Amino acid sequence: MFRRVLATAPAQASRALQSTARPTTSSFARTITPAAQPARRSYHEKVLDHYNNPRNVGSMGKNQQDVGTGLVGAPACGDVMKIQIKVDPKDDTITDVKFKTFGCGSAIASSSYLTELVKGMTLEQASRIRNTEIAKELCLPPVKLHCSMLAEDGIKSAISNYYSKNPKAKTTNLGGTGSSMPKIEVETLRSDAPAATATA
Amino acid sequence: MPHTDEPEAPEIEEHHESGVHADLSDEEYHQHADLYMERMHEQVEELQEGREDVEVDYAAGVLSVTFPPNGTYIVNKQPANKQIWLSSPLSGPKRYDWVVSGESMHQKAEGGSGDWVYMRDGTRMSELLRKELGISIDLMEEGDATKKPTVDPVE
Repeated sequence: MFRRVLATAPAQASRALQSTARPTTSSFARTITPAAQPARRSYHEKVLDHYNNPRNVGSMGKNQQDVGTGLVGAPACGDVMKIQIKVDPKDDTITDVKFKTFGCGSAIASSSYLTELVKGMTLEQASRIRNTEIAKELCLPPVKLHCSMLAEDGIKSAISNYYSKNPKAKTTNLGGTGSSMPKIEVETLRSDAPAATATA
Repeated sequence: MPHTDEPEAPEIEEHHESGVHADLSDEEYHQHADLYMERMHEQVEELQEGREDVEVDYAAGVLSVTFPPNGTYIVNKQPANKQIWLSSPLSGPKRYDWVVSGESMHQKAEGGSGDWVYMRDGTRMSELLRKELGISIDLMEEGDATKKPTVDPVE
């Protein structure tokens, strides 16, 4: 299912995108019908930039020991994000990161920007990223704040997956928020889907 | 936009005995959600009457409230998750689930004694709306079966 829907390099869409301000792929998510609005709101240029030139698109071997995979969202909602991090076990820094997102332009931009942010961070630092940072940087409108939250969930999910595979790694309680694990809403279609719990 | 980058640990407000995340059917979900959205709509329309700078729009299941100086609030149903999603310019995005409280106690099972709760920190949507918009949503009005009888017996 993933392979089919997770094209974020919008080769054919980018041309369409440049002429209209909206992605024309079917991934344009739920919400407000624009019909009644007099002024057409367009995506912020930073969002467009990430949409046209997404950073770090791709996949890593899910079963590699040093890879943490986070999978968040639900197709029925219109947004699914997969974020993978490669961690250097010597110092718990993120040496590489890949993402694939199915969803609206803001969701793609949020996850793309997130991958830019976390590369080079320690797991501890990455776990402290807040959706507010992402939303502020991309100037997300109110209706799209949920996308930035999903990106935050995604990196936390990836980190916790890494910890569950590497229990000896130094643990963090997710940046001191003490919050419970983000609810992973996606249906696990495969039995080897990543676990969501972190073990000490 | 949310105004803090490093939110402190959320205060858990009036946590009655923590409710149980209800397992709703689609129909029940829509009933509860629609009722809540309507009540909210009524309340913010009243707000609008008192102030010229408040704008309210409710279309296609999306309630949008422009409320200076805070900013714009967006509230919408998310049927796929059986949630109500809220986006606040002050506190950011939240997703609320229907939680029923104390079924074993004084409420009937179908009394609808529940609320929309953000499972991550236990806060209620009505609490946020009260704090940030000054409106109160009371689901227990108007002849709710579980409401205790008032002082004067009618006869």
